[in-house]
Amino acid sequence: MIKFIILSIPPGSMIVAGFAVLGIIFWIFWPKRGLLALLQKIKMNNERVQLEDALKYLFDCEYNSNMCNMNSIAGNLNISDDKAGQLIERLLSMGLITMDNQNISLTDTGKSYSLRVIRVHRIWERYLADETSIAQADWHNEADRIEHFVTREDTEKLAAQMGNPVFDPHGDPIPSIDGDLPEPKGKLLNHMKEGESGQIIHIEDEPRSIYEQLVAQGLYPGMPVFVTGVDNGKIIFAANGDECILTPLFAAQITVEALSDKTPVSAKHELLSSLELGERAEIAGISPNCRGQQRRRLMDLGVVPGSMVSAEMKSASGDPVGYRVMGTTIGIRKQQADLIFIHKNNDDTKK
Amino acid sequence: MNKNELQERNEILSEANKARWDLGVNFHDTVIEAIYEDASRIARKTVKQQGEKAAYSLDLKIDKIVTSRWLGFPLMFLMLAVVFWLTVAGANYPSGLLASFLIDYMHPILKQAAASINMPWWLDGVLIDGAYLAMAWVIAVMLPPMAIFFPLFTLLEDLGYLPRVAFNMDSMFRRAGAHGKQALTMSMGFGCNAAGVIAARVIDSPRERLIAIITNNFSLCNGRWPTQILIATIFIGSLVPAGIAGFVSAGAVVGIAILGIFFSLVVSWGLSKSVLKGEASAFSLELPPYRPPRILQTIYTSLIDRTVFVLWRAIVFAIPAGVVIWLVANIHIADLSLAEHFIQWSGPFALVFGLNGVILLAYIIAIPANEIVIPTVLMLTVLSTGTHGMGEGTGVIFELDSVGDTANILHAGGWTLLTGINLMLFSLLHNPCSTTIYTIYKETRSVKWTMVSTFLPIVLGFIVTFFTTQIWYLWFS
Repeated sequence: MIKFIILSIPPGSMIVAGFAVLGIIFWIFWPKRGLLALLQKIKMNNERVQLEDALKYLFDCEYNSNMCNMNSIAGNLNISDDKAGQLIERLLSMGLITMDNQNISLTDTGKSYSLRVIRVHRIWERYLADETSIAQADWHNEADRIEHFVTREDTEKLAAQMGNPVFDPHGDPIPSIDGDLPEPKGKLLNHMKEGESGQIIHIEDEPRSIYEQLVAQGLYPGMPVFVTGVDNGKIIFAANGDECILTPLFAAQITVEALSDKTPVSAKHELLSSLELGERAEIAGISPNCRGQQRRRLMDLGVVPGSMVSAEMKSASGDPVGYRVMGTTIGIRKQQADLIFIHKNNDDTKK
Repeated sequence: MNKNELQERNEILSEANKARWDLGVNFHDTVIEAIYEDASRIARKTVKQQGEKAAYSLDLKIDKIVTSRWLGFPLMFLMLAVVFWLTVAGANYPSGLLASFLIDYMHPILKQAAASINMPWWLDGVLIDGAYLAMAWVIAVMLPPMAIFFPLFTLLEDLGYLPRVAFNMDSMFRRAGAHGKQALTMSMGFGCNAAGVIAARVIDSPRERLIAIITNNFSLCNGRWPTQILIATIFIGSLVPAGIAGFVSAGAVVGIAILGIFFSLVVSWGLSKSVLKGEASAFSLELPPYRPPRILQTIYTSLIDRTVFVLWRAIVFAIPAGVVIWLVANIHIADLSLAEHFIQWSGPFALVFGLNGVILLAYIIAIPANEIVIPTVLMLTVLSTGTHGMGEGTGVIFELDSVGDTANILHAGGWTLLTGINLMLFSLLHNPCSTTIYTIYKETRSVKWTMVSTFLPIVLGFIVTFFTTQIWYLWFS
């Protein structure tokens, strides 16, 4: 007789019940705070995950020749000192680390274990950057989540599909399958002097808040930089012709490799989106922030350095704009046109 | 390969991989860019172009008009309205012809033939009243509109106009996180969702393509337009004076279609913010030069590739459905047929959504084609109300020539204005037909996305009809 009870419920209560059901469904699926996300978080806090994260952190310290101890592990993994102590004891009993006074260092087994985890992490970061549209600031966290739950075979398959990448999207080298890693190169941006130039080879992705701001400034690995001045510890430099000022704290997140054979880039690139209808220009390049499929697609269509481009028409709503390149017209959104650099030659901008 | 060679190879590979660290992050790009740069420099020096300029300037003049701020959108709506009008108006007559041949003429002949060889009544029912009739319905109502719509649409595509539509509509879809070309698959979906899903191949980035496939069902397809028009005429047109009834019911149908576009955009937005957040995305839109359409070739390919293809899939699914429709109406358990059992059991639940058991059952068993929903509803209503003198017999789906008679059957089945409105909403928001579901699976090769595309609209449909109904009760109680 349930069915007749249903019919006797007044519509007002029905609506309330309807909203309640909808609310519960939303709560389950809500990204980051919902039930599924919470379950995910609980899964993340298991022992193996913490162990692998600690190893990764220890390796990073040794690679950059920093010291590390229990407190810094606790801080990095965001766990209490007690927990960190237990973790270290476990690592010791497994023969992965040795302790000398307060200093912790990795044993050979520990090193190869951590290199394996790092390889998986960086390959996944590369994948997330090139083959998905996950926001740049989320690559690291997402890879952190994935690295503990994928099999080695799957990761190697993925690496082979991408042509065995050797750098992650932050510019860090990916350890080889045998656990080799090149010596660290370059120097930190905050140690550079006026007049020096180079190319960014690495942007540290932790802490996330600083990384996000550096990304928002448009800095990326592969970007040429030219230090124009050091003022009160602040570094002033030209990047793609834009002037940037960073405090030492921020500059220390960036590693730069000196470039000897290239003249410093001081001329600012103009963006394709600044081209007015009817104007013509030469393409200077595509920003490295345009990656993977999108980049390949643009290049396939002839958006490559040296080819001429002209803005031909605006869509009825103003965006995208139709550009003529290599004899065909293609519509490109402003968002993408902002990532394409051009040279405007004054003598042939008008057709 | 012996052991030594293998070891040697691995050593060389690992040496090479180590060397790649020294090449730096930009190595790949530098190579690609250098190749292109050389190629384009050589081409600029050696290739001369003649005569292309003049033809192109005409293109540009046309583009100035069709993409202009003031004329772009009105021209587009006009063009689409003409295509739909031609489809609806042009399909009437051939549909009538096909129906009178396949149903009014062939069906009795087959029945006679079956009787003359003394076929048992149940075999005759399953094969002729069930399988044959469902197939005949699908051909009669599906073939003519598709044979008109697809060639017209392909002509516009061939002419070069459709890419401009995508170009104009892109900003709307960009805000929803989708691709401008979704405007094309959406319009194609107004013809047939299965064809719209196939058309999503033109979208090259996987994320946007999935969005286009999942939301295509929100385009009111050819098979649903007649349902919408019939129900709007019976329940909404009758609310206003006869003089403006046609106008008002047409307005209601257009309103449902626009609601569909709205859902398509909102769901695209939701998907690209949640489950499809991580999929790769890329945008570029070629705007090919205008060219005179190759009319015969276009008609031929669109008939073979789209019309016959879709029709064939629909027939394949319609035949078993016809059998099921006949069986549920004819298998009896304790005095009542299976259909009646289901209708009585689900009736109270359906009422919560402002529908009834007949509608639910019709949408379950008429899953192969939206075209046979109304005939199935009529048959089931007659069956469950026990009306005599109407219809063609138990398990035989039928339609009536007179709207008035149809209205009488529905009113006898207890339908109200609310049922009508909810049926219109549910017809827009329910699972895609089996042809489309199968096509989605073929295109995505993923059970997961096929399930999402199937159940997302139906869940939305139940949510929308639930709140419509409950608010209606609240208002009028």
